[in-house]
Amino acid sequence: MNSSMVRIIIAHIMKIEAVFLLLPCIVALIYGEKEGFAYLAVAAGSAIGGWILGFKKAEDKTLFLKEGCVTTALSWIVMSTIGALPFYITGEIPSYIDSCFETVSGFTTTGSSILNDIESLSHASLFWRSGTHWIGGMGVLVFLLSIVSLSGGSTINLMKAESPGPSVGKLVPKIKASARYLYLIYTAMTFIETMLLIFGGCPVFDSITLAFGTAGTGGFAIRGDSVASYSVYVQWVITVFMILFGVNFNVYYFILMRHIKDALKVEEVKYYLLVILSSVIIIFINVRNMFDHAGDAIRHTAFTVASIITTTGFATVDFDTWNTTCKIIIVMLMFIGACAGSTGGGIKVSRFVIIAKTIKKEINSYIHPRSIKKIIYDGKPAEHVMIRSVNVYMATYILIMTVSILLVSFEGEDLVTTVTSVITCFNNIGPGLNKLGPTCNFSFLSGFTKLVLMFDMLAGRLELFPLVMLFHPRMLKELVIGKKRR
Amino acid sequence: MFGNKNTQKGGMSIIIVGCGKVGSALVERLSGEGHNITIIDKDEAKIQAVTNMYDVMGVNGNGASYSVQVDAGIDTADLFIAVTDSDELNLLCCTVAKREGKCVTIARVHTPEYSKEAAFLKDKLGLEMIINPEYEAAKVMSRTLSLPMAEEVSSFAHGQVEMIKIRIPEGNKLDGLKVMDLGRDVTSNVVICAVEREGEVFIPSGMFILRGGDLISFVATRKDARGFLSKIGFKSEAIKDTLIVGGGKDSYYLADLLSRAGVQVSIIERDVAKCEALSVLLPKAVIINDDGTNEEVLKEAGLETTQAFIPLTGIDEENIILSMYAKQVSDAKVITRIARNNFRSIVNNLDLGSVIFPKYIVSEAIVAYVRARKNSMDCNIETLYHIFGSRAEAIEFIVENETAVTGKKLSELKLKNNLRIAYIRRHNNIIFPGGNDEIKVGDAVMVVTTHTGFKDIQDILQ
Repeated sequence: MNSSMVRIIIAHIMKIEAVFLLLPCIVALIYGEKEGFAYLAVAAGSAIGGWILGFKKAEDKTLFLKEGCVTTALSWIVMSTIGALPFYITGEIPSYIDSCFETVSGFTTTGSSILNDIESLSHASLFWRSGTHWIGGMGVLVFLLSIVSLSGGSTINLMKAESPGPSVGKLVPKIKASARYLYLIYTAMTFIETMLLIFGGCPVFDSITLAFGTAGTGGFAIRGDSVASYSVYVQWVITVFMILFGVNFNVYYFILMRHIKDALKVEEVKYYLLVILSSVIIIFINVRNMFDHAGDAIRHTAFTVASIITTTGFATVDFDTWNTTCKIIIVMLMFIGACAGSTGGGIKVSRFVIIAKTIKKEINSYIHPRSIKKIIYDGKPAEHVMIRSVNVYMATYILIMTVSILLVSFEGEDLVTTVTSVITCFNNIGPGLNKLGPTCNFSFLSGFTKLVLMFDMLAGRLELFPLVMLFHPRMLKELVIGKKRR
Repeated sequence: MFGNKNTQKGGMSIIIVGCGKVGSALVERLSGEGHNITIIDKDEAKIQAVTNMYDVMGVNGNGASYSVQVDAGIDTADLFIAVTDSDELNLLCCTVAKREGKCVTIARVHTPEYSKEAAFLKDKLGLEMIINPEYEAAKVMSRTLSLPMAEEVSSFAHGQVEMIKIRIPEGNKLDGLKVMDLGRDVTSNVVICAVEREGEVFIPSGMFILRGGDLISFVATRKDARGFLSKIGFKSEAIKDTLIVGGGKDSYYLADLLSRAGVQVSIIERDVAKCEALSVLLPKAVIINDDGTNEEVLKEAGLETTQAFIPLTGIDEENIILSMYAKQVSDAKVITRIARNNFRSIVNNLDLGSVIFPKYIVSEAIVAYVRARKNSMDCNIETLYHIFGSRAEAIEFIVENETAVTGKKLSELKLKNNLRIAYIRRHNNIIFPGGNDEIKVGDAVMVVTTHTGFKDIQDILQ
């Protein structure tokens, strides 16, 4: 294990976080809040820590896949523990475990909160809370790659570990340029959404934080009732942008490069939109009678479906009161998640498409046992390695989920609460059902359960293996002791 | 704040078809110079291996297919290089690319039938460059044989100047000599540009003291070089006969070049059909049909008495063993060709005679072409050589415009460390410059340096 390179990258991450932590300071300055000092102190600490950690340069600059995975997992843990400090120092969240839960939930773009009264928070903290979504959405290592030239091409292994989806490719030959394009698209879309919200009469602070929450598909709002009390226009804008941020970013790159044909070729997006449309129709039929106007029904339905499938977790309505069919569809959407290469979580539409095609092929092989048929995905034959990795991903996913549910069950809550708490955290959504519905929060859970859920959130965001790798005994040993080289 | 930004901005867009030995050597060199590279190969695993190592994009598919080329971005590409194993495919790739994009195309053509028609193909198909790794390697080998006591001979300035690498024997005149005293004690008109000692390459200053066992590279005119070598006690007779093991393409090219120069060539080849083909192509050569890795066969073919021995089988390990064996049983000049390049440090430590790396010879030619093309405005790179296994570069620049380096005494220029101006060529006269000489417009200047990525004569300044 090249632990000095791991160290250097974590040092970079700490410096970047220090810069991001300065933004809430500016907010505090504008609103004249003393909480700003806590952010300033943590920013300074993080910058100094990063400087010390990165002081000694690495001799060998290669990063293999294992280093990529371990670095990514460690970066996210370090980032969360530092990001939690301001909440704890300002006393706005008295327990450090709770602060960590809130930050992990922010960075992983989950949006599950332990706060009973969100509106009592300072503007600085509200801004930081939503800001973590934005940072975590596209990924901090991708951000690092977009600004730093880490020598060698092996840095692709960092991107592989952090970006969601079964196969990670580059948009353009150079990784730095690829990462820049991603952040360019991401920032531009966030900006457009903010502007649209401001034009719709939404206050500037609310617009920015809502846009952050949508862009990262996070789901932290700054009001206790999430998005319910905003205007119809604001809710529609957020609905559309949630869906847009759940689309594979390659599509936007193709559109930007005027390769419209290539954009239309991305198979996953078609299925993604199809799932959204059919879910909206089914739920709309079921909930039509609960609202006075059909317009309200369609708005709330579309908002909820978009919020859940993109794993954002905003709410305009308490869907926990809907009938069982609707709730089952919502839970199914939680699993499906957004497209690969988007900011959303979940298992990803592409994996389901591949699995569906594998099943079809398998059934065909029962009819014609000697037939040979390659699975075609995105117009190309899918490599066996990719199909295998999707299958293994599913198996690991189910395993981790089952164990987590067992661990959370010690809490002694009812079945629905227990199961959905894990599902919602693992898929980075936010609200669950029953006691964890859109109107409730996670504060009543024990510290142990929160730790389990934090693990699930990180595992879900980093697509399982980077985090699991970190806890592999050999990796831990190599990281701590290091391997002797001559 | 976030580390150094040392990659150059705005590299060229380059598409490389084929990730074999030459292809990956090119990726290694060109990606290091900051170009935007896309590779095309039919083998997904090869693409994975290369994209995991270098910052390049991979496209899986047939490089001659139009849609694959479009995927790789042929419409915006500046340079298209086809280096698959098949000549026909390379030519087809380039023809398609030429029709579709506005790019410069380079094809690898290596079968003897086509390479004889290289000029015709280049012209008719509109290619900018045709490369033939085996032929280039053969040229280097035959040059080395013309000066057998040298480890390596490269020629510059249309053959007027040679760069010669020799190993200083213990107790030689040069052992313990200061570089600045060379002109006084031995001869002037010879410039020592690089020294390798204990695996490290230095560009020596005047104070540098040479020692026995050092590998030195010096430049001189052809005549002076031979004079210098005889002064320091090196015999300089050309080789009369050569034994080659293996009858591949490079053996054919080498034997052809040597036969023309009047050297008696023997080739040992296992395959009867190949032997017959060679005997037709090379009427003057002795073709022996037997196993060249057999000790008895080698003895019978005259290994112990031959003046030069060159194993060119398809397997590097076999070549290395054969070279070591030849060093043990005969005084022949041995050249070892390393096709792949794993474990270079081991290869460097073995006594294998002159070692050549064909894939680097080719990538040098292309890299020089790319650099020259990128900066065709100010200064031109005329030739570029990697010396000491690409740990140092020898570059010849043509100075076309007034720049910061022209019109000033060399002693006034602040040159980079580890850099030496080997010679200045002015109106076909070679000047080995001292501190009072100047670089003028129209000169060709040869620079030897351990820095990489020089594109312009001004890069020599600090």
